[in-house]
Amino acid sequence: MAVTMENFVIKGSHPVMEKILQVAQKVASTDSTVMIQGESGTGKELIARYIHAYSRRANQPFIAVNCGAIPPDLLESEMFGHERGAFTGAVGARMGMFQLASGGTIFLDEIGEMTSTLQVKLLRVLQEREIRPVGADRTVKVDVRVVAATNRDLAMEVEKGRFREDLYYRLQVIPVLLPPLRERRSDIPVLVQHFLDKYNAKHDSRRCTIADDAMVHLWEYDWPGNVRELENLVERLVVLSEDAYVQVDHLPPNIRSFISEKKIPRPSLTEEGIDLNKAVEEFEYRLIDEALRRTKGNKQAAARLLGLKRTTLVAKLRRKGGGANQAEGYLI
Amino acid sequence: MSQNESPTSARVLIVDDDENTLEILRRWLAKEGYTTVSAADGQQCLDALAKEEFDIVLLDVMMPGVDGMQVCERMRANPEWRTIPVILLTAKDDMETRTRGMALGVSEYLTKPINKQELFSRLRAQAHTRELDRRMDRTAAAIAEMGDD
Ligand SMILES: Nc1ncnc2c1ncn2[C@@H]1O[C@H](COP(=O)(O)OP(=O)(O)O)[C@@H](O)[C@H]1O
Ligand SMILES: [Mg+2]
Repeated sequence: MAVTMENFVIKGSHPVMEKILQVAQKVASTDSTVMIQGESGTGKELIARYIHAYSRRANQPFIAVNCGAIPPDLLESEMFGHERGAFTGAVGARMGMFQLASGGTIFLDEIGEMTSTLQVKLLRVLQEREIRPVGADRTVKVDVRVVAATNRDLAMEVEKGRFREDLYYRLQVIPVLLPPLRERRSDIPVLVQHFLDKYNAKHDSRRCTIADDAMVHLWEYDWPGNVRELENLVERLVVLSEDAYVQVDHLPPNIRSFISEKKIPRPSLTEEGIDLNKAVEEFEYRLIDEALRRTKGNKQAAARLLGLKRTTLVAKLRRKGGGANQAEGYLI
Repeated sequence: MSQNESPTSARVLIVDDDENTLEILRRWLAKEGYTTVSAADGQQCLDALAKEEFDIVLLDVMMPGVDGMQVCERMRANPEWRTIPVILLTAKDDMETRTRGMALGVSEYLTKPINKQELFSRLRAQAHTRELDRRMDRTAAAIAEMGDD
């Protein structure tokens, strides 16, 4: 699955992403307010731009306002504009983002950061479809499609009284919920390939590819920064790769060690010493597992490989199933 | 976002040919509030999938008869099953098996011995995406209704 517009592409193969793209496609042709929720870097702005690009407003402006990045006392005039002398420093009248977006789409990013005063004003704008610039005694009609985004759980914010319920329902007409990348790992190989292509093309002569086991490491990593973090890494790998072949050794240490850290660390003798019995038991279990693996679960053959009687192996297996290791919170 | 949500009611199909493992997993998950069904091999797993709906499949790889990878292949080929997240639980700690799992679109790969907390956090993550998936169905239905007006 891939949807291409002039200068942006949304890639994904996970079923949820397919569903989200279908929704985005369908909702684009309407004028409905869309609310996109997802962790930072999951592609909220990309979806917003996509919806705009597929709407009848495509040739009109797309204006993005980051409500979390603009100081609260400036945000109102940023959004709705101001009259001359509306406040100290307002030397001339200025148009706000809503007016600049006229006929097009306004993207209200990090909407969960908006103060309650501004939330009331925004609600009015959505209801009346008109704005009042700061210091103005008149209102101005605006024809703007609103797409909002947040990395917070807005329903929770409403519950805690930090976000107005009425505004929430106004915005929540079409909710789009983007899962973090670690919850849709099947998108990772597709995205890695996409970004390899993208940055190979950007650094013209490159033909960078990636080894299977390096890809597996990227697949298993948890990506707290989501797609943005993945994209940044792939660009760095393309730029830095000397032989145009990305291998495990080229990956950052935190990603390289991620797989092994998910498992129990290998016992080693430290300053504090270790519990020898437990370490030996664990070693034993690992060998038993290995033997069973090689013999495809045949206990008789596994016992032979380990130099044990079948009954002894079965007894050990029984112990390991309900024994000490289980109490430790491990399952073998 | 909602990684620490309250106990879930997700339905999990647990598949392992080792009786002990199956029983321990069943107990662990029941305590966490999951509804579980157990299957002792790949064929039983496919039969269970045909009979009832599940939110997540916890799948062992090495099993007699239809093995875990074959189950994955069949699930991917079935339009009704392909969206069910699969968490592979396997003793196979090698790159080939991981690469195969990745190619088959599994959701998680955990090697035995399994850390209980690790397993729970992965289960919660998949239950979360499954919930988002359902809510996107509702969004799609809402848009379809708008179109009918
Ligand atoms: N599904 C995707 N396909 C391709 N690129 C993506 C995808 N999701 C995110 N990106 C890219 O990742 C980066 C971060 O996405 P962005 O939309 O800014 O995330 P957010 O707004 O949620 O923080 C952008 O460069 C975007 O183009
Ligand atoms: Mg963003």
